[in-house]
Amino acid sequence: MKISQKDLWAGFLLMFLAFIGLWINGGFLGLGLEQHTLGTARRMGPGYMPMLVLWLQMGLGAIVFIVGLRGGPDDLEDWKKLDFVTLAVAIAVGILIWRVMEATGYNTNYIQVGAACLIGLLLLAISPAWRPLGMVLGSFAVFGLLLEPLGLMVSIVALCVIASFADRDHRPLGVAGMCVFLCALCWFVFIRQLDIRVPVWPGSF
Amino acid sequence: MELLLSNLSHGFGVALTLNNVLFALLGALIGTAIGVLPGIGPVATISLLLPITFGQPATTAIIMLAGIYYGAQYGGSTTSILLNLPGEVSSVVTTLEGYKMARNGRAGAALTIAALGSFIAGSFATLLVAASGPLLTQVALSFGPADYFSLMLLGLVISAVLAQGSVLKSIAMVVLGVTLGLVGTDVQTGQQRFTFGVPELSDGLGFVSIAMGIFGIGEIILNLERPEARSVLSSKVGSLMLTREEAKRCVAPVLRGTLLGSVLGILPGGGASLAAFGSYMLESKVSSHRHEFGTGAIEGVAGPESANNAAAQTSFIPLLTLGIPANAVMALMVGALIIQGIQPGPRMVEAQPDLFWGLICSMWVGNLMLLVINLPLIGMWVKLLQVPYKFLYPAILVFCAIGVYSLNNSVFDVYQTLFFGILGYIFSKLKMEAAPLLIGFVLGPMMEEHLRRAMLLSRGDITIFVERPISATLLGIAFIALAAMLLPGLRSGKDKALAE
Repeated sequence: MKISQKDLWAGFLLMFLAFIGLWINGGFLGLGLEQHTLGTARRMGPGYMPMLVLWLQMGLGAIVFIVGLRGGPDDLEDWKKLDFVTLAVAIAVGILIWRVMEATGYNTNYIQVGAACLIGLLLLAISPAWRPLGMVLGSFAVFGLLLEPLGLMVSIVALCVIASFADRDHRPLGVAGMCVFLCALCWFVFIRQLDIRVPVWPGSF
Repeated sequence: MELLLSNLSHGFGVALTLNNVLFALLGALIGTAIGVLPGIGPVATISLLLPITFGQPATTAIIMLAGIYYGAQYGGSTTSILLNLPGEVSSVVTTLEGYKMARNGRAGAALTIAALGSFIAGSFATLLVAASGPLLTQVALSFGPADYFSLMLLGLVISAVLAQGSVLKSIAMVVLGVTLGLVGTDVQTGQQRFTFGVPELSDGLGFVSIAMGIFGIGEIILNLERPEARSVLSSKVGSLMLTREEAKRCVAPVLRGTLLGSVLGILPGGGASLAAFGSYMLESKVSSHRHEFGTGAIEGVAGPESANNAAAQTSFIPLLTLGIPANAVMALMVGALIIQGIQPGPRMVEAQPDLFWGLICSMWVGNLMLLVINLPLIGMWVKLLQVPYKFLYPAILVFCAIGVYSLNNSVFDVYQTLFFGILGYIFSKLKMEAAPLLIGFVLGPMMEEHLRRAMLLSRGDITIFVERPISATLLGIAFIALAAMLLPGLRSGKDKALAE
């Protein structure tokens, strides 16, 4: 029997998401996070369609899982020990930061989500296999964190610098040139031509 | 016929205003550029540019976005022929004969026939859209809620069946898309569903965030993980003129490709890539020069290039007449229309004649512009390829980030995009096709509305879906499409066509 790991995980992911959805949707013995009214087939309540769709997703996930038991071989990439460790540490630290900031009141404008994502992703990028993922998404998080307090120009530079770590061919001079070029281009396109409402320089908001 | 002419002249009146011509040109140029660049496709680009179109009138916005879509079909063929490097999925087959022709010193001829064939096919398909649009709209107006539900179900099934990879997983992805579409305020009762008390989610998950996260950012990460060696331009372009012999050989393949592409484009889930593969297979069977296939037969360029452009145009038909997107790009168009406050559907022809006819005519104008600008500018497009990817991806990221923020001026959308970037990465690692998810996400909320309405009308009787003839027929086709894919022969045929 050849196992397709990709299909097994895909099936598991589908079932897991369906399970979470069903749990939120409610209906089992009064358990459930939001408890949507089910209604009848004639007058469907807000919970009816989610119930149908989520059970369908659960079923399809199960079929994908079962087919995956003999659909292979189709293995995932080889993960090294470092990859697992950084992934676990990143998720743990991310959740910790999020909860702590939430509890201490640093939660205006989703700053807690951004900070948790940024630090988690940078930790993830320690392992070379995760570097493109961590650095690209980390650059996105830093943009979200800096945009409103420090303005567009600083955010663009920060995004470019972090994103450039995702590719090992980058040289400092090239990155600097790219930052200047992109700042000028974005100023021209978004501020001058399209006039979007966004702070441009630090302190202008 | 007279009505058609007066409608078309109205449409040209709209399409030929200076502003619309400029934006059609801009769209076509951007489309060609991203068609030339591998690693960024029309789906990512259109989702990137969606926020920028808000300031424009709806017609202008859609004209530009459409220009990107068919421009990409032109651009993709250029690199396929010159560098053996398909810029788009739909031009993969063009590499088979086109690059061989370039090796034989006939690159110029291949480029010319690709552009000419595309133009002829585009013109025909534009006429087809104009002629069939109002007719289909008439049919669509007699649709009840049950019929709509079945039609959308058919669309979802076909989009899953025709997607790359495992049919089963594609169907699961459609359903996952419908699930994601559930997030937000329930239209009928106003109850918040799956929002976790986050006010930003009460309008649902951001369509642009999903598309950009999965198709834009997810793609970038994958491209960085597998750096590919760039091939350099080895062959000269040569004379752009076709010889008399070549021109003669192209006539039939262009016509066959146009017809095949037009039909396949209308099918939900069809679109340009399927049409190109189909046409190549057809030509390699019926062409009188089929023994030359594999050594640079011009038929193998003329047919698929015509087919993919015809399909790119006709895939607007389901969108414009029924409001149902046939593929991921069309799903983005629905998003763009809804953001502009226009509900796509059969009433659009009457309610928005400027948009409907203006778009159709602008497609023809855009195709003409592409023909004129593309051939002389080939050198410039090739230069574009020499921009290294390491400078390209930060630029794409910056544009994504600003675009997604400016949607609602909300940092929340930036983080939402980040989340879908992670999800998109996981999907691609697990070989879960993301295009069906996007279609499911767009159609899901509409389906729920029609389902609830239909069940209310039938007093909870589910047989309404088989009692109404239209609905029953549509469900029957959906069932056959599903069953057909379980037949091993057909499935391997599809796999072969899409796998190359």
